[in-house]
Amino acid sequence: MALPSNVEPSVLHNLAKHAPGVESAFMKKIREQSMEALNRSPFPHRKMEDWRFTDLKPITRTEFVSMDEAGIRPAIDVEKYYIPESDRSRLVFINGEYQEKYSSIGGLGKGVTVGNLADHLDDKEVEEYLNKLVNYENDPFTHYNGLMFTDGSYIHLEKGAKAEAPIHVLNLYTDSVKPYVSTPRMLVVAEEESDVTIIEDHIGLSDNKYMTIPVCEIKVKQKAHIHHARIVRDSLEAVHVSRPIAYVEKNSEYHSYTITLGAKLSRNEPKVIQEDEEVDFTLDGLVLIDGEQIADTHSTMDHRFSHAESHQLHKVVVNGKAHSIFNGKIFVRRDAQKIDSFQENRNLLLSLDGLVNTKPQLEIFADDVLCSHGATVGQLDAEEVFYLQSRGMTEEKAKEVLTYAFALETIENIKVNSVHQLLIDEVYRYTKANNVDKVTA
Amino acid sequence: MLEIKDLHVVVEGENEEILKGVNLKVNKGEIHAIMGPNGSGKSTLAKVAAGHPEYEVTKGDIIYEGESVLEMDPDERAHAGIFLAFQYPVEVPGVTNSTLLRESYNTIAASRGREELDPLEFQDYIQDKLELVQMKPEFLERAVNTGFSGGEKKRNEIFQMAVLQPQLSLLDETDSGLDIDALKIVADGINKMHGEDDAIVLITHYQRLLNYIVPDYVHVMIGGKIVKSGGKDLALQLEEKGYDWLESYATVNGEAN
Ligand SMILES: Nc1ncnc2c1ncn2[C@@H]1O[C@H](COP(=O)(O)OP(=O)(O)OP(=O)(O)O)[C@@H](O)[C@H]1O
Ligand SMILES: [Mg+2]
Repeated sequence: MALPSNVEPSVLHNLAKHAPGVESAFMKKIREQSMEALNRSPFPHRKMEDWRFTDLKPITRTEFVSMDEAGIRPAIDVEKYYIPESDRSRLVFINGEYQEKYSSIGGLGKGVTVGNLADHLDDKEVEEYLNKLVNYENDPFTHYNGLMFTDGSYIHLEKGAKAEAPIHVLNLYTDSVKPYVSTPRMLVVAEEESDVTIIEDHIGLSDNKYMTIPVCEIKVKQKAHIHHARIVRDSLEAVHVSRPIAYVEKNSEYHSYTITLGAKLSRNEPKVIQEDEEVDFTLDGLVLIDGEQIADTHSTMDHRFSHAESHQLHKVVVNGKAHSIFNGKIFVRRDAQKIDSFQENRNLLLSLDGLVNTKPQLEIFADDVLCSHGATVGQLDAEEVFYLQSRGMTEEKAKEVLTYAFALETIENIKVNSVHQLLIDEVYRYTKANNVDKVTA
Repeated sequence: MLEIKDLHVVVEGENEEILKGVNLKVNKGEIHAIMGPNGSGKSTLAKVAAGHPEYEVTKGDIIYEGESVLEMDPDERAHAGIFLAFQYPVEVPGVTNSTLLRESYNTIAASRGREELDPLEFQDYIQDKLELVQMKPEFLERAVNTGFSGGEKKRNEIFQMAVLQPQLSLLDETDSGLDIDALKIVADGINKMHGEDDAIVLITHYQRLLNYIVPDYVHVMIGGKIVKSGGKDLALQLEEKGYDWLESYATVNGEAN
């Protein structure tokens, strides 16, 4: 089904011919639309404003092959990554493929549907929203996902349904002979007054190269609440390009926390789009990177109606030669009054070779708006280090404690205990491993 | 216990001297007060003794328990029993008072040959110390000094002193910011802690504190030097006459050197 491409072919365009066939007319339509869109979407390069700072070599210098050619190795120790709270509310995907035998979906209570998208193509909501919510113009990654995905997570909550347990969406990536590209997909529809917590996990099982392109569509209807934690623990050689988009209706809440620990290159483009008045949303992030990792967040918070409260705290710790990029777009449309929007990007630079690019981007067309925003790049505070040392901590320990404390703030908001603890351990491991060099004056 | 000899100090990388030859000797069991005008170098002296990396000693020495501490890191000095109560206690967001104190207590205990305490034992231990300075237990779970009022920060410093049981305490303007009642409570606490084996150096602007904590010696620092030393009456004289009458003495002395 390959069409002649209108743009210079990239790895994504080249692999398009491997798109798996589909039966349903509905999916065929998605394939066609995605193919068409992919063919007019150029692969990004440094001359594009939104890609100025991002080194794409981890993609362009890697020979990705189709799943069939990759020599996929089996997944090991899958159970190790389970969380106890989601013992009966877990979806497992290996390289994007649904795993019934590892999944367990009986424990969610009335009115909650959870399963593999491929098994729910006839559901009304799937037809209504799948591939309709996603909105990333000219983005070959999104369209590539649309062209390639067959399985995916489907989460639906009926009116008033409250999920009895957090839903763990466990994406595992296996070792392989050659680098492959995986396209996890997710659709979440929370009807009126429903409530759910989702833990979206991405874990590399080995240290191999692969690319994952998760696309996630979320609809939060009136008075519904979604708490969405996203954890990037991909292999340190991997590329992670994610597109989570959420639409928030009247009186709804959407709170998302993205924790980036893994991946050689990650590019996260979360969007929240306000669809009515009186909403409350969060797009927080924590990034802990080292070595030659690149973590890029380009977010959009689109305030289209009055009375919105939005919050974005993006915290970053950079060590080694790592590079963090943050671009936070805040739109406040002309008729959106009484908006209270908070954005802050705080960067802690632990090494001399680390690099941080940060840019808040406010486009405000209304006048009754409270928008606070700021970005800081700093090292550990020398006075704080001295204070702790004067209380007996070694310099190393003091820096460890301060780094840990810096990172902890975002994690505090993650409500699922075992995940909270797991992240504390990860933060601790990070601060320990990075024998936080003598960088303070 | 402490002997400061002809101490000259500059800010790391700069030329101008802040301390210009300080001499001070403190024995076990003594309380010394250092007074002097703003900017005369009192805090600098205390911070240098605690090992602040911002300052460089260009001449002289600090001898503590018979050994020079100049090559010791601040934490090593804390382990040796030196404690600095900061004039401006630092806020450390994200680290709770109790975390800091248990960590500190145990590292110091380990290096001073005292027994380390597990979290439960530590709970008990700390209870008495809270009472000693009448601090509310809620403060234990708050981030160190973060959002504390000026007076609360000062009280927290003395609380830490009580927990860590130092041998040499340098208290930099602990009285500033405390209300009248709090001053009495804190002074009382300090008096209770003080014994024959430890020494205290108080830096203060106000004679009032010295009514509560009676010093054995009072020193006046002007222009980076100690220009006059005396008994507790010297503080009363200063209260009455200010520093003017010593100012000339300082310059003469300065030029004579
Ligand atoms: N890090 C520094 N950089 C530059 N100047 C400094 C630094 N630290 C101290 N100084 C200067 O050294 C002098 C002594 O300062 P210090 O804080 O020791 O005074 P002090 O006697 O404690 O005053 P106060 O009574 O106001 O607390 C001041 O002029 C101060 O500005
Ligand atoms: Mg001072």
